[in-house]
Amino acid sequence: MTIAKLGYTLLGLFIVWNWGFLMGATFRKIGARLAGRYGIPFYQPWINFFKNIGVRTTITHGVMYYLGPVFRLTGGIGLFFFMPMVFTGDPNGHWTNFSFEGDLILILYFQLFGMLGMALGAGEGGHPYSAMGIARGLAQHAAVELPLTLAFLSIAIQYDTFSVYKIVEAQQGGFQNWVLFTNPFASAAIILAMLGAMGHSPFNLVKAPNEILIGPATEYEGTYLGFMQSAGSILHVMEAVLFMNLVFGGATSWAELIVKTFLIYFWSVFVGMVFPRFKIEQSITWFFKVPLVLGVLAIIVFSF
Amino acid sequence: MISPIHILTIGLGGAFALGFVPKKAKDAAAVIMLAAIALMGVLTGSWLIGLINGDSAQQVFTAGFKPPFSINLLMGLNEGALTTAVNFIGLLGGIYLYKYLKEAGNHAIMVFLIFIMGLNVVIMTRDIFNLFVFLEIVSIATAGLVILTETGKAVQAGFKYMLATGVISGVLLIGIIFAYYYSGTLNIDGLTQAHIGALRGGSVALLMIMVSILLELKTFPANGWGLDVYEGANAGIGAMLSAATATGMYYVLYKLLVMAGPEWNYWIALIGAVSFIGSNVLALKQRSAQRLLGYSSIGQIGLLMIILGFKDILGDNTPYVAFGILFSHYFAKAGLFWLAGIVKQSDIANWAVIRKKPYFLFLMGTFIFALIGFPPFPSFFAKWELVMELVNTGNLPWVVAILFGSMMEAVYLFRWFGYAIKGENENIEDFKIEWNKILPVGIVAIALYVTGYFTAQHTEAGAAINWIPLFFVAAIFILDFLPVFVKNTIAIIGMALYFYNIYPDLDNMRLVFEAIFMIGGILTLIAGYAYKGKRTGFYPVALLMYAGLTAIIEAQTTLQFFFGWELMTAGSYFLIIRGKRSMPHGLSYMLFSVGGAYALLIGLGMAFAGQDSLGMEIINTISYLPYWAYGLLIVGFLTKTAALGLHIWLPGAHGEAESDVSPMVSAILLKAGVFGIVLTLIGMGGESNSYPWLPYALGWLGAITAFSGNLMAVFQEDAKRLLAYSSIGQLGYIVLGMAMMTHLGWLGGFSYVVNHFLYKAVLFLTIGAVVLRVKTHNMYEMGGLIKRMPLAFIAVMIGIIALSGVPPLSGFAGKWLFYNAILEKGWYLQGAIMFFSGGIAFMYLWRLIHTVFLGQLKDNHRNVKEISIWFLIPIYLLLAGIMVYSVKPQWVLQPLGDMIAQWFPDGQLTWDGGTAFTKYGHWAGTAVAVTIIVAFLVVLALLLISTRKAHKVKQFDITYSGERPERPETTHVAYNVFEGLYKAMWIATIPLVETWWNKVTDFLHDTADIVRRIYNGNGQTYIIHIVLFIIVTYFVIIGG
Repeated sequence: MTIAKLGYTLLGLFIVWNWGFLMGATFRKIGARLAGRYGIPFYQPWINFFKNIGVRTTITHGVMYYLGPVFRLTGGIGLFFFMPMVFTGDPNGHWTNFSFEGDLILILYFQLFGMLGMALGAGEGGHPYSAMGIARGLAQHAAVELPLTLAFLSIAIQYDTFSVYKIVEAQQGGFQNWVLFTNPFASAAIILAMLGAMGHSPFNLVKAPNEILIGPATEYEGTYLGFMQSAGSILHVMEAVLFMNLVFGGATSWAELIVKTFLIYFWSVFVGMVFPRFKIEQSITWFFKVPLVLGVLAIIVFSF
Repeated sequence: MISPIHILTIGLGGAFALGFVPKKAKDAAAVIMLAAIALMGVLTGSWLIGLINGDSAQQVFTAGFKPPFSINLLMGLNEGALTTAVNFIGLLGGIYLYKYLKEAGNHAIMVFLIFIMGLNVVIMTRDIFNLFVFLEIVSIATAGLVILTETGKAVQAGFKYMLATGVISGVLLIGIIFAYYYSGTLNIDGLTQAHIGALRGGSVALLMIMVSILLELKTFPANGWGLDVYEGANAGIGAMLSAATATGMYYVLYKLLVMAGPEWNYWIALIGAVSFIGSNVLALKQRSAQRLLGYSSIGQIGLLMIILGFKDILGDNTPYVAFGILFSHYFAKAGLFWLAGIVKQSDIANWAVIRKKPYFLFLMGTFIFALIGFPPFPSFFAKWELVMELVNTGNLPWVVAILFGSMMEAVYLFRWFGYAIKGENENIEDFKIEWNKILPVGIVAIALYVTGYFTAQHTEAGAAINWIPLFFVAAIFILDFLPVFVKNTIAIIGMALYFYNIYPDLDNMRLVFEAIFMIGGILTLIAGYAYKGKRTGFYPVALLMYAGLTAIIEAQTTLQFFFGWELMTAGSYFLIIRGKRSMPHGLSYMLFSVGGAYALLIGLGMAFAGQDSLGMEIINTISYLPYWAYGLLIVGFLTKTAALGLHIWLPGAHGEAESDVSPMVSAILLKAGVFGIVLTLIGMGGESNSYPWLPYALGWLGAITAFSGNLMAVFQEDAKRLLAYSSIGQLGYIVLGMAMMTHLGWLGGFSYVVNHFLYKAVLFLTIGAVVLRVKTHNMYEMGGLIKRMPLAFIAVMIGIIALSGVPPLSGFAGKWLFYNAILEKGWYLQGAIMFFSGGIAFMYLWRLIHTVFLGQLKDNHRNVKEISIWFLIPIYLLLAGIMVYSVKPQWVLQPLGDMIAQWFPDGQLTWDGGTAFTKYGHWAGTAVAVTIIVAFLVVLALLLISTRKAHKVKQFDITYSGERPERPETTHVAYNVFEGLYKAMWIATIPLVETWWNKVTDFLHDTADIVRRIYNGNGQTYIIHIVLFIIVTYFVIIGG
């Protein structure tokens, strides 16, 4: 690994961090317009971020509480490191980050790193809303995982690999090669399950605004919140990048990445703007219906 | 050598002399009786020794004539052994009944002497009329002895006994008359030569003789009178009936069976099987200790009858098998009856009183384990030999019948024993010990161990058994009066030295398991230093389990393996039942273990079929019904890994066990089942096995077990039960991995074996230690303990991260390998279920750490201390193991891969530096760990820089529902925390398996309850039973 590669990777991280903020702002704006309000300026997330990390005083509930945001942000950054971002035809290209260290499975399981650390940190804060949000989040996460896992396995069977890079590589040469068209069942399962992974309405009961404040992060403010916002921003983009790489042919340039992740993200926001929030049991059973069936079909199609 | 006729001289002379002893000199009378019995014993014993050393058998012809003109007695090896046994138990019984007989008077003493003498003659006689006479003498003596106890029950029982034996004698006599009429002789050898059964009319005579002997043996179901006697008589008399009379009568049956000819073998075996199963099933509902022993005695005689029926098949092994079972029964039943007389509690639930004197509990345990056929008792070796031979000769249904009956016997005996160990005993009056009563019990208990040892030496495989660990256990047992600190140190040093000595002899696969057993054992024992006082009984049983575990690893033969397996089961049973509320769980653990062991026994028997050795390698070449054999072996081992369907014992057993026992039985013991499965799968031929359906079914079972175990864990409120269900799930992963029968599957499986040992030991030790501090298992009663026990929190945090499979900790290795293995194998749906289970696991792991350590600290825990240092030491050593495995996974996976390659050479990982490659993916464990750690430290540094002035706030410095909370109970989110998930998935939590097993047990108990109503206590009904038995056997055997 060269210094240049590290530099490019950190640059990519910086791009993703900013892109996450911008996407977040865009969609808050869309939401506001739908609700008949004018909405925030597009640079509001940066203001929030700098204001938060700039506060002079802060509190702590203990060491684990303190480490929660560290876990969360490390989770986001790590996920970025292990994800190939832009396909250039060179498996060790600058924008493939550290994807040589692991494959799709590493990415899937590392997603939990930040989630777990955050859950533990928020737990020490002792706020009931945190625990409620986490309990819901974990239950929903498990339900989302089932169709997603089936779909991922189906794609892995299709291309005989767990390497995200190779999956992207296999989809090059035109949109007709995208998994979206070569493996429609897996894609459909992912597109539906993805809504749960993104955590927008109707699957936003983890944060459940107006109900349990902002769920796990309820007790966090100031610098901690700034870190979490950064983590959230990166994770949002990375979720979208993951689905882009697996289903939508990946990206051969940053511009393509930005367009595709925007559309993927927009899909979950679009649904969220239309459908109201599910209760947890509704959410879980929803994933066990159509997405699960699609996932199983995706496996069956490629098993024989 | 003194002629055996002098047994009569001594008996009659003694009885005659007693007539001259003044009524007041009661002690003198009793001493004369004992001396006479002892003399008979010396006489028969000297014969026995002589016969063993090659002397020839002697015939005694009375009155100077040869048969058929006179009566003759035979003193051969069998007679020598059995008369000595009768006299020995007679002497002990006499000592036991010393005061009782003394108070009953000289006549009673006389009767007892005549009773023993009569049995001697019954064994020796070769004349069937003489047999009849002495049977009458024994019967009348018995009735007299029974009636001696002046309780209503005893008098009634004695009367019924007279009635029944009267009828039976009548039938016998008529049979004898017919036999004489048709053959012209009364001599057994003469009748044998005359082929009495083949003579016209002789078959009816023979039937009458045989049936009356069967009835004398109290064959089910015409045995109500016998049961009443067992229940009503003085326990000392019961012991004589069960040990001495039954032994004698059994030998009579043997003699007459030779006379009856081989065509009777089948019928004897069949009637024996009916009796064995019938009595043991009916005993299920029994609450009266002595009656229960009666049922058990009748059952054991049924088993012995089966052995007789197969004597031509067992051949030279018949005496070995028969004596092995007979002597275990003889010692154990006498011991139990005597104990019943000492404890003086009729209801088995009240036997809890026995543990007020712990050594009595030990005696009781010895007898019960001997009856069920556990090592090191003779019955274990005899049953092994019996099953091996029967399976080898294609008599599988018989084996199944025998083991089913044994299983039923285990149910009620262990239930009884469970009461003794764990029942409520505060309000029961303690019992007194009299020297003359305890002495015989102690002697028979020692005799069981000694005979067990020598029985083992009799066969080649048995002689090869390594007894050193058992002797170590015995030594620790003797040293049980020492304080914990000393015993713990001895135990640890002993295990360490033992491991050091044997590890060079083991192959890599065995070394992996042995290391888990021994190093794991030592680590969990370290936690034992936290306990104070003597911890009576803990060390012998813990070491017994480890002795069993190491024995299965070292086993060179299937016998040694099974020997170790049963030792481990016994040890772990005692460990488990030590828990406060463990009585029902101990029982269900034992029953599943016994059932599993019997499945193994049959499987190993099938492996032996057609082979001439018992070497462990025979399971690699099973040719007799191999599908069934491997299936049975796997089912047997699955009872230990608690696969779905066979798992219901585990949550309670592990959840209620003591704090340092849970990790022993969860992290360590369960691996014994895995070891067995690994051996079986290797035996099946590894990759190219020709039994595709077995691993396929096993794979699905593993996946569903993983799902069910994990889902159930999510809904537990009890922290230890949560971990227990988690173990079920984790073992499901391992089973799935192994079932794949590929390199990657096994590597994943072994990776889990190692990992599960590490993190489950950490979690169980930590949670156990926390429970010791907070005195509750309920997670919702805890909370916020991170403030009081930060080191425990760190341990649990690392443990759950490792378990969940989140990188960079070691659990991820297993996940990554499983994904690759699943893709390679094509078991996508099983894999998806397993990965979904992983997502579910995340929920219970969070629940565990959150509700115990995070959230709100309870008021009553504000001053609770960090967990004990003695728990922290092993915990942190294990954590170090997890860390090394996490950062350098190649150090574990490469050797494991090399090991697995000998069976599964295809599809190995390829290593490039620290990066592992499969054909699908890659993973650089060390690099990932470094990346994450560096990122973590950088982010932490950034946070530290920007929050220098973080102000520490107190517990309730939050706002919730518009107020600042003040009560932790109202603020701690813990109880029923996954309610939403339950609403969505309740259907998967219906305990179908438990319901099924409950229905099975209910069915058996109800059947027992209905059928046993035939024993209505009415003597006339019992006579009808006898008559019906005769009629039915007539129609069945002779034909209508």
